[in-house]
Amino acid sequence: MAGLAAETQAAAAAPRPPEATASPAPVLVSVENLRIQFPPWNAPVRVVEDVSYQVRTGETMGIVGESGSGKTLSSLAILNLLPPPARIAGGRILFEGEDLAAKSQAQMQKLRGRRLAMIFQNPGYSLNPLLTVGAQLAEILKVHEKLPRSAALQRVEELFRLVGITDPGSRLSQYPHEMSGGMKQRVCIARALLCHPALVLADEPTTALDVTIQAQILDLLEELKQRLGMSMIFVTHDMGVVARIADRITVMYAGQVCETGDKQAIFARPSHPYTQALLASTPRIDKSYAVDAQGRRERLPTVGLAATPGQSLGGGCRFAGRCPEAVPECTRLVPQAAAIEPGRSVHCLKRGSAGVPGHG
Amino acid sequence: MTDQTIASHVSAPKPAAKPARGIWRQGWQRFARSRTGMLGLVLVLIVVATAVIGPFVAPFDAQDQSPMLDPGAKAPPSWTNPLGTDRMGYDVLSRVIYGAPTALAVGLGAMSIAAAIGILVGGVAGYRGGTTDEVLMRFTDFFLVIPMFVVILAVVRLLGVAVVDTPFESVPYLNLGVIILLIGVFSWAPIARMTRAEFLRLKNQEFVEAARCIGATSGDILFRHILPNALPSLIVIIALGIGGAVLAEAMIGFLGFGDPAAVSWGQLLYFNYQALKVAPWASLSPGLAIFVTVLGFNLLADGLTDAFNPRAKN
Repeated sequence: MAGLAAETQAAAAAPRPPEATASPAPVLVSVENLRIQFPPWNAPVRVVEDVSYQVRTGETMGIVGESGSGKTLSSLAILNLLPPPARIAGGRILFEGEDLAAKSQAQMQKLRGRRLAMIFQNPGYSLNPLLTVGAQLAEILKVHEKLPRSAALQRVEELFRLVGITDPGSRLSQYPHEMSGGMKQRVCIARALLCHPALVLADEPTTALDVTIQAQILDLLEELKQRLGMSMIFVTHDMGVVARIADRITVMYAGQVCETGDKQAIFARPSHPYTQALLASTPRIDKSYAVDAQGRRERLPTVGLAATPGQSLGGGCRFAGRCPEAVPECTRLVPQAAAIEPGRSVHCLKRGSAGVPGHG
Repeated sequence: MTDQTIASHVSAPKPAAKPARGIWRQGWQRFARSRTGMLGLVLVLIVVATAVIGPFVAPFDAQDQSPMLDPGAKAPPSWTNPLGTDRMGYDVLSRVIYGAPTALAVGLGAMSIAAAIGILVGGVAGYRGGTTDEVLMRFTDFFLVIPMFVVILAVVRLLGVAVVDTPFESVPYLNLGVIILLIGVFSWAPIARMTRAEFLRLKNQEFVEAARCIGATSGDILFRHILPNALPSLIVIIALGIGGAVLAEAMIGFLGFGDPAAVSWGQLLYFNYQALKVAPWASLSPGLAIFVTVLGFNLLADGLTDAFNPRAKN
């Protein structure tokens, strides 16, 4: 990760081409006040609380957060595939003008794979071990476009070539276990792109891969996104990865949004105390760490204290318990979005957010 | 971005041509290494071969009692009657050979019925979950605790009385069919449990979720993604069940409740056990046939466990 961490800083510092600041592309998907809960229903566990963000056409939204921050659940909610017993308890997910949260499973089934697609964390587990990859991918075209088998396989082969799979024709008849991890992830990417979706959800697609393959896959995703003009929601806990691939970033903590904004702005001027602590704790290869008289190296700063236990979800700002700047109101009032720069908002009472009393 | 950049990603060397190896082929390779499994397979193949070609090579017809006249009943093995004759004057070898198709019909027939019910019930319970699961599994528990033999013996005896003077009387092998059906109906519970467990495990696997994410229909998910991945475990339990079904039918036959029209090893034991001292060959031969068949299927199941679930052994 050290290599990518160095790039983090480089990518954040490098001026981006002006495309990001030009007239904004239309909003493709807009998550509004999304709330996801787990039972018991009389006192639900609010794992995702009032999460809002927008993804524009052709843009990559990086969602960053630690384990349990609700980043995966909020992206599964877009597909309406929350693992039972979790359910969407409030909010809207507007995609191409329609509310996905209100759609039936049958309606969603027609959208999944066609307009919306997902790439999973572990390519080793996300392919059926008993079917050849060609058969698995052709199945999607059969479902969505009613293509005959030979035409479907031809399309799959084209996609394999597009995602850089060597010898795509003969790969069609291979089983997943005959491929390397990176190759399997390419197959998964091809599967996601098969019907030219408008939005691809990538849930830590590089976490299970080693660093060199990771870099290849990130380059590939970036390139494909630009080529096909699709949008992407990229979920990760890795600041290095998100610095490389995202246009805009949403930082989440324990089911709440901390801040949203352009990547450069967030890396250059983190506003929320959590983002600040997170970036400060990222090791940097371009920084020399002091060594004291006993030969001990200076320690990396950490995000203070322990992670919030699940029971304390609710109340005010969920980061309050670990926050160095917390004031008593923080545990009581939920910070609302406050615009601090154009296209950038932060949820923190100390940064000018309005606070509303929490539910818990 | 150009193709140049895409081409530069290519890092994996072209793999050498090799045959595609799916889970089945890998399973077979592990199975072939298991000695007990191979022994089981050989025994099962012997029984199957006997059932298929036996009736064409058997020295006497199944119902031919002519040896009663020539060497007489309970005659020791000779050239014309290699395994001797039994109490009723039948040729023992021929009767044992004709018992093989019956045994296989019982084993395969009963387990087909059991597998059909078990996979359906267990699959629905595991896939749907919730209340459906609760209800179906309690129903399964109910079948697990009914004493199979009591029910079968009662039904077979009552049926024999009930069909007299009805059109059913002329249905061939009615008794045997009912025994097969009942063994099947009382052996599906363990299969349902195993299916449910496998479906529960598989339905949350990432590849099933991935299939759902790309818009696969429920039918595709069940029959293309979940069921084939559950089959290895199910095959093991079904193979084990075949041996059990053969044994159950032998027991029913031995108690004298078998189909009088069919030749069954259990029934041969029933006819001949009283002459065990005088004509041991007439009892030992069908007994050995039962032993070989059941052992064969059990060893086969053992080998299949090695093949599809190698971790369970070590």
